[in-house]
Amino acid sequence: MNLMPQPPRPTPPLLAERLLAWCCAPELLEEVQGDLHERFHRRLALFGERSARRQYVWEVLGFITKPFAIKRRSAQQDIDTLPSPILVHPAMIRNYVKIAWRNIAHNKTFSAINILGLALGMACSLLILLWIQDELSVDSYHANGPQLYHVMQRQSYDGKVETGRFTPGVLPDELKKQFPEIVHAAGYTGWDARMTFAVGDKINKESGHWAGADWFKMFSIPLLAGTPATALSTPNSLAISRKVAEFYFGEPTSALGKSIRIDNKTDYQVTAVFENLPANSSDTYDFLLNWQDCITRNPWMKEWGNNGPHTRIQVRPDANVAALNAKLKPFLRKYNKEMGRSFDAELFLHALPDAYLYSNFKNGQQDGGRIEYVRLFGIVAAFLLLIACINFMNLATARSVKRAREVGVRKVVGAMRSLLVGQFIGEALLLTSLALLIGLGFIYLILPSFNSLTGKHISLQITDVRFWLMLGGITVVTGLLAGSYPALFLSSLNPVRVLKGALKFGSGARLFRQGLVVFQFVLSTLLIIGTIVVYRQVNFIQTKNLGYDRENLLYVPVEGDLATQSAYKTFRDELLRLPGIASVSSIQEAPHNIGSSTGGVNWPGKDPNVLIEFTQTSVGYDVARTMQLKISGRDFSPAFSTDTTNYLINQTAARRIGYKDPVGQPLTMWGRPGKIIGVIEDFHFQSLHTPIAPLIFRLSTEPSSQNFMIRTQSGQTQQALASIERVWKQMNPKFPFAYRFADEEYTNLYKSETVVGSLANYFAFLAIFISCLGLFGLAAFTAEQRTKEIGVRKVLGATVTNIITLLSADFLKLVLIAILIASPLAWYAMNRWMQNFEYKIGVEWWVFAAAGILAVVIALLTISFQSIRAALMNPVKSLRSE
Amino acid sequence: MKRSYLGEFEEIVLLTVAVLGSGAYGVAITDELEQQTGRSVSISAVHAALHRLEEKGMLSSRMGDATAERGGRRKRLFTVTVLGSRALHDIRAVREQLWNSILPNTLPAISI
Repeated sequence: MNLMPQPPRPTPPLLAERLLAWCCAPELLEEVQGDLHERFHRRLALFGERSARRQYVWEVLGFITKPFAIKRRSAQQDIDTLPSPILVHPAMIRNYVKIAWRNIAHNKTFSAINILGLALGMACSLLILLWIQDELSVDSYHANGPQLYHVMQRQSYDGKVETGRFTPGVLPDELKKQFPEIVHAAGYTGWDARMTFAVGDKINKESGHWAGADWFKMFSIPLLAGTPATALSTPNSLAISRKVAEFYFGEPTSALGKSIRIDNKTDYQVTAVFENLPANSSDTYDFLLNWQDCITRNPWMKEWGNNGPHTRIQVRPDANVAALNAKLKPFLRKYNKEMGRSFDAELFLHALPDAYLYSNFKNGQQDGGRIEYVRLFGIVAAFLLLIACINFMNLATARSVKRAREVGVRKVVGAMRSLLVGQFIGEALLLTSLALLIGLGFIYLILPSFNSLTGKHISLQITDVRFWLMLGGITVVTGLLAGSYPALFLSSLNPVRVLKGALKFGSGARLFRQGLVVFQFVLSTLLIIGTIVVYRQVNFIQTKNLGYDRENLLYVPVEGDLATQSAYKTFRDELLRLPGIASVSSIQEAPHNIGSSTGGVNWPGKDPNVLIEFTQTSVGYDVARTMQLKISGRDFSPAFSTDTTNYLINQTAARRIGYKDPVGQPLTMWGRPGKIIGVIEDFHFQSLHTPIAPLIFRLSTEPSSQNFMIRTQSGQTQQALASIERVWKQMNPKFPFAYRFADEEYTNLYKSETVVGSLANYFAFLAIFISCLGLFGLAAFTAEQRTKEIGVRKVLGATVTNIITLLSADFLKLVLIAILIASPLAWYAMNRWMQNFEYKIGVEWWVFAAAGILAVVIALLTISFQSIRAALMNPVKSLRSE
Repeated sequence: MKRSYLGEFEEIVLLTVAVLGSGAYGVAITDELEQQTGRSVSISAVHAALHRLEEKGMLSSRMGDATAERGGRRKRLFTVTVLGSRALHDIRAVREQLWNSILPNTLPAISI
């Protein structure tokens, strides 16, 4: 027999049933459900399922919207289920958020001041943190990082200690042979080689270095083609970056094995293509050449007495670095015969990942470097955040009268102090989060200009966990910092006194508030003074008379077909015939940065026990005329064939040598005796961080080592450039005309100071702006508080001026105190910064006066808006309310 | 004596409970109300009124028996208390007194 399956009995809609069961008071549930079911079944029979279900839902809705039927907790239950004072009931949190929101919405001016101030402060701090993070990440990407070291040399001579990365060119291989702890060692030419690459018709200047064969085994630079072992193994091997490979060959991988002609002389084989170096690499090169090739080109590098290239090593992970350091210290004494007497050189290791930030050495000891800027800006970031937090604290406590009643009521109905503290800190966190959102907007907008100013490639790393941690961290820190004092203060109020309406704040709170304002203005004044001083120093550097005229001076390397004596001479003569060209000479190194030095100088009567280092470079004819140096004696000139063994010295050198009348006196350099033909007035051929050293110019005999130095007549530079290029194209078609201007190169020398100067500018402006926001809020508040007093005063005959003075004087007093405190601090800090410069502008008293007046004026302007408004108010209005 | 105030709907519900006697519960009261007054009454409104009347002490209630169509749930059966009864009587007395005080032919005639 077949059993027909019974159709399921229709039931009321499940969802509505659940809803009713969830919402309805439990004691009513049974009868209500019963009644509804009864009606449902009757309707089912009468009108069908659809109608019955619809009606059922409708009736359920009827119940759950009636207050009597809704489930509710009794007060007793609430208390029973309260877990602990810390874990607050959701209802209270809802209440807190609601009250916080109402407070924000109700006082639009104060909320705007708070949020804007915090947003600016947080945006700046975040920006600085991003910058610091970027600075700290430089050279941190090498997997072997902890085992990588620079081999540094510390030379003592002539009562001085000089420290640098310069080492003998043969050092890397010798170190690797001698010390089993050293796994890899590679030389690296510290100077930038700009060379002309040619593949078919494609000709371009590229910049790169020579490096030892172990280079790619030591450093984590991904190879797109080739292997680390073979990348730089033979004298004609060449490793190029992806950028270079793409330019000449279209694709990185197809470059492998191809040949590139360099400087129209030698063919090199591409043995490796490496990924473009990351932005956070302190080494910058687009190609690397083999070390053997470097030594062949520079035979002097075979000598242990000559220093120049850098040496980098990788030690075994288990190596004892301290012991290695001790063994390295006397290492050079075995090899360098000049050692002893008054000259000594020691080697030591400097960890490579640290080298970027801790690059300065003073008297042989590590002495700061970029880390000082990192610290400085870290402090500035903290300052800005602190100023914004103080605004918040000040406004919150000043306005606490308004919240006091709320606190009183909360305490009466049983709020514990911890809960109130939690409430107010929570409120601060809420505000901070709002500010963070706005601050992120600011950052998004200014990041591109910040990057171009600092030369960084910083972006908002939305996918990076650390970025979010940073955001969370800064929000919590700011919220706690800003919210803790108001929270502690408000929660300490006595409910009885508050509710009686007899709220009088002690002088303690007012003093504290005034202290905070003073503190803010101390920081702002510090930053203003700092900005003025840095700006003046940077300006001083850029406009300083260096002793030579760097305007209208350009230089271009002597290379290719021009690098022969005759071509050099022809080119020079051609140029001199062109209109707009004042004079032409040549020099080995850029005039603002002459670095190479020698101890091999002798003269009759020299104390054999003293080794004096002379900075030296080779130059062409008419050097003094072209650089417009003041000279006593005469310039190098083609008219005197003996000039190849003659020398020009500067005044410092003349003093060190000790001749009374140096011109015409004998001088021997590198064993070539000659005469001093002229003394040039001291000029700055190195950065202004260092004093002027004794300098010797010798006449060049090797054109390929030179750069043409061309002075154009002022105002005719553009025409002159065009005509020089025409001559260049004729005589040297295989090489691009790559000229540089002396003044631009000079400006680049002080890039970090210029960047610091403009950053300090912005930050000082922001600091004073945020401080003034707070002052504006406080002034508004005071004016509001004293409305009645002002009304009474006006009725009794006070003038508008009287009242403005009355209101402004209080604040001005604070600003003046701040200036008094800030001035000595600023003086101390600026003097310390100035010590980095050998040539500097004094920190003068008027700087402090100017900064002080600026602070006072800005503060006065801020307050005056409020005080004038208060003073102009009609007393009838302010007094009517009573 | 100070009487509790009774709204019009409450009064009708209270009367309906009296009409139904021992069988007065939500559904029955609603049905009876709809029949007697001819107006559509929502069950939740009736429940609300019953709840209020009980709070005022004019109704008392006990749980009755369950039926299958109620899904095995019991009914709440209401009876009028002494207080409720007095309230109804008072209202009636006031009304009758007022009716009796109206002079003949004062109200406009209505045609039935």
